[in-house]
Amino acid sequence: MQPRVKNMTLLRTGYSKSSLLAKIRENLVVAAIAVLVIVTIVIEPKFLTVANATNIMRQFGPLIMIALGMTFVIIGGFIDLSVSGIISLSAVITLALIDRMGQWPALFLGLSLGVLCGLINSALILGSGAITQAEALFITFGMSVVYGGIALVFTGGATSHMSYIDRDYSLFSAIGTGTVGIFSISFMIFLAVLAILYVFQSKTTVGRSISLTGGNKTAAYLAGIPINRSIVVVYTVSGLMSSLGAIILFSRVTTASPVMGQGYDLNAIMAVVVGGTSLSGGKGSVLRTVLGTLLVILLSNCMNLLGVSVYMQNILKGLILVVVIWLDSKKIK
Amino acid sequence: METNARKIRLSKSVVRQKALTAVLLMLFTMLFFDTNFYTGFNLLDLVNSLSIYLILAFGITIVIIAGGIDLSIGGILAISGIIAIKLMVFLPIFLAIAAAVLVGAVIGAINGYLVVYQNSEPLIITLGTGMVLTGFAQQLTDAHPVGPDNLEYMMIANGKLFNVIPNLVLIMLGVFIIFFMILRYTQFGRNCFAIGGDYEVAKYSGISVRRTKTAAFVLCGMAAALGGVMLSSKLNSGSSVYGESSALTVISAVVVGGTSLAGGIGGIPQTALGLLVFGIMENAMNMLGIGAYFQMIIRGAVIVAILCLDSYSRKLKRETV
Repeated sequence: MQPRVKNMTLLRTGYSKSSLLAKIRENLVVAAIAVLVIVTIVIEPKFLTVANATNIMRQFGPLIMIALGMTFVIIGGFIDLSVSGIISLSAVITLALIDRMGQWPALFLGLSLGVLCGLINSALILGSGAITQAEALFITFGMSVVYGGIALVFTGGATSHMSYIDRDYSLFSAIGTGTVGIFSISFMIFLAVLAILYVFQSKTTVGRSISLTGGNKTAAYLAGIPINRSIVVVYTVSGLMSSLGAIILFSRVTTASPVMGQGYDLNAIMAVVVGGTSLSGGKGSVLRTVLGTLLVILLSNCMNLLGVSVYMQNILKGLILVVVIWLDSKKIK
Repeated sequence: METNARKIRLSKSVVRQKALTAVLLMLFTMLFFDTNFYTGFNLLDLVNSLSIYLILAFGITIVIIAGGIDLSIGGILAISGIIAIKLMVFLPIFLAIAAAVLVGAVIGAINGYLVVYQNSEPLIITLGTGMVLTGFAQQLTDAHPVGPDNLEYMMIANGKLFNVIPNLVLIMLGVFIIFFMILRYTQFGRNCFAIGGDYEVAKYSGISVRRTKTAAFVLCGMAAALGGVMLSSKLNSGSSVYGESSALTVISAVVVGGTSLAGGIGGIPQTALGLLVFGIMENAMNMLGIGAYFQMIIRGAVIVAILCLDSYSRKLKRETV
């Protein structure tokens, strides 16, 4: 125990302030993004074209939404694996509703479906009294299977295409491919959502009580913080953001399949954790998640430009995740 | 009051033995349907089809009891099958399989080192190692399934003893007995329970906590690799997509069986029961002609229901203390 308390700055910041190396380690994501961008520009100047910038902005769309929602759940000390089921379900249902009710009601109902799924998740967790992350992990995993199963039963397993819709779907085309100037519309949705969520997280009582809940549930409870409210809020936000991500995703690819959400759960968790939000809860921010997602997206963008095979990309992606988590665990808690 | 107390006691034991209750309930229900469920062939086939998942589950049970978790078992499953098939070209089958299991042990040791000695979050670090392994599996096979050029390999998992009992079931039973003995009758096994129950207390009791927990990961890696070899033998091919979603499916069955994710509670027989719940359910639903997509909804609902019941019984216990 002795060496741990030798240096008080170490205790307060987690790192010794003096060393440059420590500073780099503290901002590991920024450093990784910088290295990646510089290396790519030197080898392949095409990275700096407007077309590639638009491309990156488009790829930002679905993953960042889901990761932003997941950020709240993880800060609150829980985890949500049901996002992949919610994405599949809200994508197929929203697309089917366009034909039946028109585009605006479909959009509204699609988002409400995400909220509903989030409320069901939180009701199950509150009702059963699950307090640990591990309990929530498998309850939401089960719900993911349920939501995905409903999507499969609803469509009969088929993929639905946007071009077969009889009614006007210009709204979804705009979300998918529209641009204002050099910015894609999905990117502007992202900026607006980010601003709202940032203010929500850092400036409102409800938002701040989420961090306190995640930091130490017992202490938060004894301090009079409504932890049940935090649980409902984080899962509802996660559900809403998943359905928003689903809408952006199917608008871009113009098809909705009942299995399209697969893989988004773990990718979103990876983006959040790589950004620096601690999986043990209490610490983190939506801005960090933006950096984490940027790293994940730039990684595939740069490696595509550099001609690295997809298989090698998977290996590198996993290695980066391992290294980031490993360095994170070196911080003094 | 007397009946009330008895009711509570009954409901308590139903909650505690929820996997057993579910299994008995399903077996009872199937008596009323005129299907081929109660034929020797079907019941044997049921166990046979569960065997690979069971081998995986026995390994992960030890890790969970020791207070860890391993999401990389899907990756180990994929890569060990491929390695066994690739090595078979210049090694005898037996050595190729041994090498694949050894690779599983090495991967387990790496996971254990990262989790135990480097204090990494097991959930997310093994997710990362699993991704690396899947990537390697894709790289090795160019994302195509690879097949062995040796027919004997296929017979390991598909052969039958006396033309009745599938080899796979025998291998599974062997793993069952070994892991059951390890966990129940060895010092290592008891230490696993102690570490999962309370890490600090175990440490100050003089248990070499780090070595024991790492060994649990090694055993889990070996079991996953053996499962991967058996799967590739059963399907006569190795591919990077095998085991893609098996980790969460297997772990949720382990938890349904009664092994607590908090560590320190559980056992190999419980895990077998947990997997039987899903095996019997799938088999019975197929017999009753329920569609595959609808089965998915039911499977998810059962996971949620049993785990919520589990959390609820723990909540009641907290409140009474």
